Amino acid sequence: MRGLLTSAASLCIAAGMAHAQTADLPANIEKLQSMQSTGVKDFTTVAQTGDYADAIRNTLEGIKMPAGFKIELYAIVPDARHIAVGPQGVATFVGTRKDKVWVVTDRNKDRVADEVKDFAPSLTFTIPNGVCFSPDGFLYIAEQNRVLVFPAAEFFYESPDVAVGQVVKQGELIPADEESFNHTARVCDIGPDKKLYISLGQPHNVTPPDKIQKYMDTGIGGIIRMKQDGTEREIIARGVRNSVGQDFDPKTGDLWFTDNQVDGMGDDIPPGEINHMTKVGLNFGHPWFGGGDTRTNEYKDQEVPVEVTMPVSTTVAHAADLGMMFYSGSQFPAKYNGAIFSAQHGSWNRTEPVGARVMVTFLAEDGTATTEPFAEGWIDANGEYLGRPVDIAQLRDGSLLVSDDLAGALYRISYSE
Amino acid sequence: MIRVMLLGLGGVFLAGVGFAQDAGDPAAGKKLAGQCRTCHGIDGYAKIPIAPHIGGETAGYITRQLTAFRDGTREQEMMTVVARQLSDTQIADLAAWYSSQQATATLTADPADAPQVCVACHGADGIAVVEDAPNLAGETNIYIDTQLHAFRSGKRVHPVMNEIAAGLSDGEIRAVADWYAAVSLKITPP
Repeated sequence: MRGLLTSAASLCIAAGMAHAQTADLPANIEKLQSMQSTGVKDFTTVAQTGDYADAIRNTLEGIKMPAGFKIELYAIVPDARHIAVGPQGVATFVGTRKDKVWVVTDRNKDRVADEVKDFAPSLTFTIPNGVCFSPDGFLYIAEQNRVLVFPAAEFFYESPDVAVGQVVKQGELIPADEESFNHTARVCDIGPDKKLYISLGQPHNVTPPDKIQKYMDTGIGGIIRMKQDGTEREIIARGVRNSVGQDFDPKTGDLWFTDNQVDGMGDDIPPGEINHMTKVGLNFGHPWFGGGDTRTNEYKDQEVPVEVTMPVSTTVAHAADLGMMFYSGSQFPAKYNGAIFSAQHGSWNRTEPVGARVMVTFLAEDGTATTEPFAEGWIDANGEYLGRPVDIAQLRDGSLLVSDDLAGALYRISYSE
Repeated sequence: MIRVMLLGLGGVFLAGVGFAQDAGDPAAGKKLAGQCRTCHGIDGYAKIPIAPHIGGETAGYITRQLTAFRDGTREQEMMTVVARQLSDTQIADLAAWYSSQQATATLTADPADAPQVCVACHGADGIAVVEDAPNLAGETNIYIDTQLHAFRSGKRVHPVMNEIAAGLSDGEIRAVADWYAAVSLKITPP
């Protein structure tokens, strides 16, 4: 088994090296690519029991959902952001806005994680927020300004040394002088065309005029795609302020994504967005529009120089719609099949906080969509957050995982009649 | 290098005196901090990685940063939005509230290994030893990394820090960031 895995990985790595630029590779990556040990042996493991876990369980008792649904603590995962469930069902990978990717394993399959440890501890990550799997088990990690690929990650994660390749080398996802902290939390997905789709948030509240052309040309404030080896990169959507959630509709193969909208225009405008990319090359309106059909103050007197695609569904202003996914499981009632589950992180400076909940969006035959709350109760009577949901993912049994970067946890939502 | 730093600081100390005379009201600041707490915490212990811990910073440092966000000399997409609505009195009150908290650092590594280029102002444990410098203890490494890159590129302006950051490589910046991020920080009420 071990020998088989190693040779499978060597093949993947050999394939990877043909395209990845082997110059400029950080020393650790070079060692890992040639299957040498990096000498790093220690994992950081996260305790899964105790007062901290009990306090989270206490919060979850106050979460309201439709009848028949149950929410439980699945794992303690510090700074948990976007989730990638391994296609083998062995392990779940969770990105952060810090420097770690966590691997969550439910060894005894009781639907509660038994082990949480850091992935590839010898590597230095910078905002490894975006994690996504190809159906054949390649894990992609989209960082602030680099994209790495880990063949057979669900097997190699047990060792500190993993197989790795470089899809986009450091500094080539965006120009380095556009790096910021806040709007560089990437999300990624492998599309039905087998290409790698990555969101590139723009670093401003409203893009200033002197940056518009640069961003149009580089895909900042948009979504890009490329082959899984990093070649044939193209910009597929523009006019996106900061998308931190996307998924493909399994029925049509179309990309849908959430977008976070402009701050500082008051408590009640502009709305958040759920967008439908019906074809490649659309512009979704930033910076001329601040969200929905609300014009930004900065550009309100300007004629909009592009054709703008409006969102399919708008959400309450400042709720911060982040991760989203189409439900394709069989555990939930039939009406949820094909619906979108999405996470609202919660507002950061609205007078009365709003969001911090899981939403569900039902799509009608005529292409319209209605979004409503599905799980809520993470804002207490004092207006204080008890948790802030970030992303939703589906386990193979049709239950959902929800990440929370304030509590530092994954929750599991299941249904039984 | 040290000489450059001290000369630079001399100027800043003089500038700082003007702010210090306008002492704010911590109780009023605590109320205003309702709009800060989702990111920075009501006591100044940050709730999200992109925000720094500000509890226990000096009133002068907080005042200078909020004023810089307000007048556009320091930019960050969230702080620029928040700060432009603040009056001088509100800034002084917020500074009074957050500076009244006590920041305590626990360093487990050997202080001798601390980044020498930083310790004269920020301390080996990340508790600042000069008025103009912020505490760095326990900040997310990516926050410190981002600030040092901004000082190096000139996006964030400070006479001493621009000079120091100019001499640091990406790897050195990350090492400095990792050092201070690894220090444990506790913030306690006055």
